[in-house]
Amino acid sequence: MFVRKGAHNPAQRRYVRRFVPGMLGYVGLLLVSTWAIRAYHPEGALLFLLALLPALPLVAVIGVMGLYLVEERDEFIRNRLIVAMIGGLGILLALTTIWGFLEDREVVPHFPTFLSFPIWCGCFGLFQCFLSLRDRLAGGGE
Amino acid sequence: MKNRLRVLRAERAWSQQDLAERLEVSRQSVNAIETGRYDPSLPLAFRIADLFDLAIEEIFHNPAKDDQ
Repeated sequence: MFVRKGAHNPAQRRYVRRFVPGMLGYVGLLLVSTWAIRAYHPEGALLFLLALLPALPLVAVIGVMGLYLVEERDEFIRNRLIVAMIGGLGILLALTTIWGFLEDREVVPHFPTFLSFPIWCGCFGLFQCFLSLRDRLAGGGE
Repeated sequence: MKNRLRVLRAERAWSQQDLAERLEVSRQSVNAIETGRYDPSLPLAFRIADLFDLAIEEIFHNPAKDDQ
């Protein structure tokens, strides 16, 4: 049953419970990976694994976001979330397309592709803020 | 989509939060539906109709009828 406790519904609380360990895991594995590569200068398969390590929790976080979309029972919230995600994706695609053409002509430096996810998160967050503000201004509420 | 949700709610002296809890949705959902910014899915429209013991078309205005 959907019973609101504080500001979050059960699906949102589950999302936070999964998201936080994922991000902590990312920070931890990034530190371990960076330290190990600098300290031991590994090569071959070991370097591949150490370089891959910090990406794994981020892939899990992407999965956690998808799971939240599936579990969110409030269709209006889910709809707004999807609009914000697609809006964020649109901005990311536009930015990387423009950057790609500029990079191809050596006008700008190489774009580190691992930044795609954090940029998308930022754009998604901005879209969420915009939609929340729009709803607040349009709806009034009680 | 225009609807009578605000009127029906007011008749029962329910706040948006009261209605949201009865429908098991967020207060933002109730607000968005009331103001016509969000059209509920058919299952949610049926839940709303059941709650007020009315038919869906007695709560939600059929936009197709505007064209006739």
